[in-house]
Amino acid sequence: MNWLELAWLIPVAPFAAFLLIALMPKRTLGWEDGCGYAIAGAGTALALSALVIWEVINGNTLTVDSPRFTWLIIGDTTVTFGIWIDQLTALMLLVVSVVGTLVVVYSAGYMHHEGPTRRRYYAEIMLFISVMYGLVLADNYLEMFVFWELVGLCSYLLIGFWYERPTAASAAKRAFIVTRVGDIMFMAGIIILLKYVGNLDFATLFEGGATAHIPSNMLTLSTALIFGGAIGKSAQFPLHEWLPDAMEGPTTVSALIHAATMVKAGVYLVARSYPLLVQSPESLLFVAIIGGVTAIVAASCALAANDIKRVLAYSTISQLGYMILGLGAGGYLVFELHNTSGYTAATFHLMNHAFFKALLFLCAGSVIHAVGTNDMRLMGGLRKKMKITSMTMLIGALAIAGVPPLSGFWSKDEVLAAVWHAGEFDWAFTVLWALGIATAFMTAFYMFRMWFMTFAGEQRSEFHAHESPKTMTVPLMILAGLAIVSGFALFIGDGFKVFMGGAIEGLVPGAHHESVVDVAVEIFTDPLTYVSLVLAVAGIVLAYRMYYMPGFDRSVFARGVPGTVQKALENRWYISKFYDDFAYKVWYGFSLLTDLFDRYVIDGMVNGFAYLAVRWSAIIRKGQSGNVQRYTSLIVVGIIVLLLFMLYVVPWGGW
Amino acid sequence: MIPIEYWLIFSSLLLAIGAYGVLTRKNAIVVLMCIEIMLNAANINLVAFSSYYSTLHPAFGTDASGQVFALFSIAIAAAEVAVGLAILLSVYRRYQTIDVDKINIMRW
Repeated sequence: MNWLELAWLIPVAPFAAFLLIALMPKRTLGWEDGCGYAIAGAGTALALSALVIWEVINGNTLTVDSPRFTWLIIGDTTVTFGIWIDQLTALMLLVVSVVGTLVVVYSAGYMHHEGPTRRRYYAEIMLFISVMYGLVLADNYLEMFVFWELVGLCSYLLIGFWYERPTAASAAKRAFIVTRVGDIMFMAGIIILLKYVGNLDFATLFEGGATAHIPSNMLTLSTALIFGGAIGKSAQFPLHEWLPDAMEGPTTVSALIHAATMVKAGVYLVARSYPLLVQSPESLLFVAIIGGVTAIVAASCALAANDIKRVLAYSTISQLGYMILGLGAGGYLVFELHNTSGYTAATFHLMNHAFFKALLFLCAGSVIHAVGTNDMRLMGGLRKKMKITSMTMLIGALAIAGVPPLSGFWSKDEVLAAVWHAGEFDWAFTVLWALGIATAFMTAFYMFRMWFMTFAGEQRSEFHAHESPKTMTVPLMILAGLAIVSGFALFIGDGFKVFMGGAIEGLVPGAHHESVVDVAVEIFTDPLTYVSLVLAVAGIVLAYRMYYMPGFDRSVFARGVPGTVQKALENRWYISKFYDDFAYKVWYGFSLLTDLFDRYVIDGMVNGFAYLAVRWSAIIRKGQSGNVQRYTSLIVVGIIVLLLFMLYVVPWGGW
Repeated sequence: MIPIEYWLIFSSLLLAIGAYGVLTRKNAIVVLMCIEIMLNAANINLVAFSSYYSTLHPAFGTDASGQVFALFSIAIAAAEVAVGLAILLSVYRRYQTIDVDKINIMRW
């Protein structure tokens, strides 16, 4: 039995759960208002995903010859729906299924106090998981775009879960509208592809000959626009400000959608479009620059954030920037060196980040559940009361900071190494590498700042913290285990690099496969590894010094140059303020102008025509006298005139 | 056999007389009668052309469709008169007149 052919069932299972929860009568919902169905749906999808992943690990893929059904026929263009399973799909399936299932289990505890609205929550989260699987399995850009919009919708619904709070409602709107900017770019990009190739199937587009029809500048434009979709969805600079605001949703939503899966869709899109991207170095450089700038801007914002979830949100943006940077640099390595290491590093980081960031978010959720506030300044001293949470969060923080042997160390190092190597072909990558290494330092610092502020020291406000229930701590422990071991995927079997390299092997004919030993030797003999390691440790030590040891005078950040920087960081580099000012002043002014134009010119024209019609009718309505004989005589005169016309004028004119 | 032209002149005259009556008479009943005259002018044309057709194409035999049309037309005229008179009756009940010059409420 070929499990790959049944992969289309993966999204069906959570969708069935969604229908059951959303449409069945209230008394059938059972445990936790539908959580039972949700766990069953997510669990079925997890089991099926595991089978599919197993097939892919055994070297079976289902790409060009996958079964498809026709969805639309427009002229010569046929749009089909199908599934596309390669190593990249398997990786995303792993992330979505594992994190999705654990988050649903965790929700049973976290959402326990929400009462009947839990039904809406579970229905929406099941819909999200279902369409996320659809996005991952899609085999053409249009199908992907449909699911892309649907995950955006679910994100909107779940950020606005507590819609009675004005901040949540406006954050949901903001997330929806800002990502829509990226979606429009994505759509424009695929329209260009459709125009030149006439087909949006990956099978056609990724085959070597297809792009020959596209002029190279249009290919650059199209790939850059497709990356624009990733800028919106993966919250890259300059469209990143929606993600911190999206933290208004429940923490489980932040963990699942805004850390582990949906925001990865942008990275997935870039990785999926690799066969097109590598043909356009300009786009790759653009991708890498956006990624590098995002990484450092977001990391710096995280330095001064006081909301525990916002620290994690900025950290997510920053790590997504890392992945995008790795993909951009990896493209240079692919066409210059026939080396897939950048691509594998970025996708590796994608997987590791999904595990440790979901872990961190769920730990934060556990803390918020116990303390009842998001503000880290009001926490402190939770280590003794929440042993499991504090330990798992420490593991997550060590993993993201890049301390060996936890997962973040391996993948972050691989990404930085790829960027460094790409520096041989364009000096911009050397600059980006410097940004990346600075980001690594900041990451270690802000993560431990968060950990120390939350768990260490004295309790700074009144609360009665308690450890969370089993349904919450068990997923935490599983994720902590994954955060520790997922990095070793690099050394299992042929190694992660060879496995992921399989996804783009068509682009690198005759590439040299590194053995597991080579990979290990390379990591430990490269001096850059020790540079990033030292910086990570320095970041941790600095955080320890500033936020744990007593006697550090933090008033230096209140004035002078450090004060200005601190203020800028607290205001997120004024980017959000810039957008607000832009909206309030520039755009509002423009709107006023268009309003005037609308009222006086457009409406003026409409009203003018109406006025003319009224006046003209007032004149000609006098003709309707009500006298039947006058009407009749007009008919007779008309007939006579027509007759004369037909009998004399028409023959005379020779028509 | 009377030539077709005679029939056509006769029916034209009938139509003209009818139209003149419709345009000039004040009494709505007379107007209705004049309309009937105009309709009959058309009926005469139908019958005349029906007979003329078989004279023109003896090979096709006789064709009665013009005469059948005339019969239909007469039946419809009868129905029309019934409706017309009923309208006039209710107009008279309301306005105590059937002078078409005075019945001009359907105006601006």
